[in-house]
Amino acid sequence: MSPNAYVLLGAVLFGIGAAGLLIRRSPLVMFMCIELMLNAVNVTFVAFSKMLNDVGGQVVVFFVLVVAAAEVVVGLGIIVAVMRRRSGISADDLSLMKG
Amino acid sequence: MSSASDFLREYLTVLILGGVGAALVGLLLGASHLLRPARRQPGKSLTYESGVDPVGTGWTQSQIRYYVFALLFVMFDVEAVFIFPWATRLEAYGGFGLVEMGIFVFILLLGLVYAWRKGVLKWV
Amino acid sequence: MPDFVAPTLDLHALAPEFVLAGVVCVLLLLDVVLLDRAKAIVGSIAGLGLLGSLVPILTLATSDHPTRTMFGGSYVVDSTSLLLKALFIVSAYVVVLLSTNYIGEGDYWESEYYTLLVSSVLGMTVMASARDLISIFVALELLSIPAYMLAAWSKRDGRSNEAGMKYYLMGVFASAILLYGMSLLYGWSGSTQLSEIGRAIGEKNSPAVTLGVVFVLVGFAFKVSAVPFHMWAPDTYEGAPTPVTAFLAVASKAAGFVALIQVIGQALVLRMNVMIPVVAVLAALSMTIGNLIALRQTNVIRMLAYSGIAQAGFMLAPFVASQYGGIDAIVIYLVLYAATNLGAFAVVMAIARRTRSAEISSFGGLFSYSPGLAVALSVFLASFVGIPPLGIWYGKLSVMRALIESQGRWATVLAIFVALNTAIAAYYYLNVAKTMWFDDAPEGESTPIKVPTSLRFAVGIALVATIALGVYPGPLTDAATPEATPAAAPSGR
Repeated sequence: MSPNAYVLLGAVLFGIGAAGLLIRRSPLVMFMCIELMLNAVNVTFVAFSKMLNDVGGQVVVFFVLVVAAAEVVVGLGIIVAVMRRRSGISADDLSLMKG
Repeated sequence: MSSASDFLREYLTVLILGGVGAALVGLLLGASHLLRPARRQPGKSLTYESGVDPVGTGWTQSQIRYYVFALLFVMFDVEAVFIFPWATRLEAYGGFGLVEMGIFVFILLLGLVYAWRKGVLKWV
Repeated sequence: MPDFVAPTLDLHALAPEFVLAGVVCVLLLLDVVLLDRAKAIVGSIAGLGLLGSLVPILTLATSDHPTRTMFGGSYVVDSTSLLLKALFIVSAYVVVLLSTNYIGEGDYWESEYYTLLVSSVLGMTVMASARDLISIFVALELLSIPAYMLAAWSKRDGRSNEAGMKYYLMGVFASAILLYGMSLLYGWSGSTQLSEIGRAIGEKNSPAVTLGVVFVLVGFAFKVSAVPFHMWAPDTYEGAPTPVTAFLAVASKAAGFVALIQVIGQALVLRMNVMIPVVAVLAALSMTIGNLIALRQTNVIRMLAYSGIAQAGFMLAPFVASQYGGIDAIVIYLVLYAATNLGAFAVVMAIARRTRSAEISSFGGLFSYSPGLAVALSVFLASFVGIPPLGIWYGKLSVMRALIESQGRWATVLAIFVALNTAIAAYYYLNVAKTMWFDDAPEGESTPIKVPTSLRFAVGIALVATIALGVYPGPLTDAATPEATPAAAPSGR
């Protein structure tokens, strides 16, 4: 099967994730969108790796997976810290400073 | 330095992609907005609690004692991804691989020991 | 399957990274064993460890084989990367000096703070040598993830939480965009190595390559807070603890530039027609908008944040002249900017210890009661403006020279932008100086500000570097130029 379909799938997933990140205001949903974007990248890398018959792309996927897990853990930690201070959280509530 | 038309052609792709992306999102959100019936009732915006009338707001804090366990689990679970490829070709990687993996596992263990000493693993 | 051949490790070349990794482990072990009793010593151990990792850098710089390549070209140690590693390590050392009192006096977790700081520096030193998409990505995340946590370090301060949250969301978004660009470049070239990618995209063009290049550049633009991807910077800088802000504004931003230097210098240099417009627009916007917003700031830290955005514009500009020594100009500018900016932060922290605010008005009459600090801050501000012979003037000169020598259309326009923006920037930098020298001191401010030894030391290092490198930039230029023999010492910075 041609890798084009998978690359296209990756592009669509990436677009959905990016749009969601910009539209949704709940940090938790924004996290999920980021995960979606990273997994879109993984799909693209695996597809290219299969097409090129080169294992490098799959190695990248391993690293992306692990880094994504580390990012999520740190992000959830920060969210918990924010939640402890106030109930109900939306990215728009974070406006103590106007930038 | 490229000529102006070359430059435009290069960036046409970027513009097209951006346009298609924006159109797609607009189309999907717009279509669902137009198609879905919108009849607002107070009952619809209530928090869903299996048919029981909700008590309090949706943002009451509940005790999640195990969230640190969950975070730790995610970390250590995913780190295992590096160990599997090594395990499948253990002999081929020989002493070099063993030393490398030893360093990797040592650093992971440091993390676990840290969590243990900071009292995160206790069930409070 | 081909037989596995263990790569040969050049332990000497990797020594700085090994020392830093060792320091991270030692700090963590100390914390684990001693718990609260570790607090008294972690700061000094982190500082000593950072200085210790400078030793192999010095021996490498003076050795006979300055350029060492490992892992089939994925990891290169040459004079420029040594200079950059030294820059990161010394900046981090100054940040440790800034932190000793700040973190000790506040209600902070100390051992973890220094552990994360050193891990972040480890990521930066790896970044300076990485020549492969995978190692660049891992280095980038190793330096960013601890930085997200550091930005949110004062857990009970809502503004710090907010700073961490914004920095995190923007940073992760940027990584995702960057990775997507990398996947496109990999798909087109079939390799993760920058030199291979450069060869492949130089031969044949395709829309996918253009897209990949744009995505990668946008991803890095977030990291170096270039307009229009700068939204996170001022809020994060204001909310984060001040030493962390200094670290983010200097070391973290420099690391973003280093990554850009590798990617552009190794891989994209043959696709200049795609790259130049993006970079030129980013640079011009960053300079102008950063400066215009900085004009209106009343808080010195926010002013430094916006001026940092403008300075990022100055540093982005020479990328359009990459073939004409533009990259060297960026490295030189980075070093001088780091010295000046760290110094400015150190002085502002010393003053804010007393006044509890960083409003410009609270600096009034500083010269009358604390002349030393006023003179030091004036030197740093003058360096920002670009007054010879102080630090950044030489950076500005190198940037202008590269832009004018390349004679490109975009480069010429950018040169005009640089000149105009230097003039705008002079106004707000000198405004602070004017407040310190001529305005009246607030009521009851007459005793000199007591400055702790570590802060004093930090200001001293930054002052010496700013003045010495401005007056005698020779060794810096040698180290920044790839072909030249390495400088005897990376001149203390």
